[in-house]
Amino acid sequence: MRPDTHTTQTGRSETPDDFRSELLALIPFLRAFARSLCGNPETADDLAQETLVKAWQSRDTFIPGTNLKAWLFTILRNQFYSDRRRAWRQAPWDQESAERIPGTREDQTWAAELSDTARALRCLSDEQREALILVGAGGFSYEDAAAICHCAVGTVKSRVARARRALINILDGNDSLGGVERPAEGDAAKEIMSQLDALMPAQKSDHKKEG
Amino acid sequence: MSYNRSANLANEDTPERENARAIRARQRAIGRELRRMYDSVAQEGIPSEFLDLLKKIDETSAKKGP
Repeated sequence: MRPDTHTTQTGRSETPDDFRSELLALIPFLRAFARSLCGNPETADDLAQETLVKAWQSRDTFIPGTNLKAWLFTILRNQFYSDRRRAWRQAPWDQESAERIPGTREDQTWAAELSDTARALRCLSDEQREALILVGAGGFSYEDAAAICHCAVGTVKSRVARARRALINILDGNDSLGGVERPAEGDAAKEIMSQLDALMPAQKSDHKKEG
Repeated sequence: MSYNRSANLANEDTPERENARAIRARQRAIGRELRRMYDSVAQEGIPSEFLDLLKKIDETSAKKGP
């Protein structure tokens, strides 16, 4: 056995070189997925780099022979949501920033250079967008996409279907482009609740101070 | 020829079927555009920051040893 061979938790061995070269080969796809989640290219590359570091740190938990791409995408997606929760907590809440939601001015300038489809994609809910990208562009099966998104296969299927319908509505001008997102059907209430959830901690702490 | 056959079918179609076909065609076009966007990023190659990062990772793990 070569000295640099490490044994994984499953008992199978894989050299760090194998893992490293597979990681290298998958960087372009990590960037593509990150770009579709974040929109902004700089934020996306930061996210993809964070993912790379996380993946290397947790390489012992990867089971050789399973889908490395899906494993990496899961790490990237988890990182995306945890980064964003942190950003929400740190952002001071005022009227000015409320008017800037969902994007900063920088994001909007950049968004102006996008194709109609790319802009329409930004109007979908995160859940619909990620499902559509994984299945429709990334070539993942519904099963792999469900594993990446931590949800049921049927949920992915319905999100993809609703995302496709919503994109057509937006592109046909039946829905607002570039405004605050207006997700289709049942997602609307959930989306509003999640936005409220994001605001609640700040408000609760204010009450505590007063009381 | 498949072109003529589909043209004939279109003439016989009800407005509903035509509409459904139009929606499917739109969805295919959107699907192509999504793949094009995704592939265009994937085909950019690997930016140097990523290679630098991998090099740093290599150096760190070399220091720690096997």
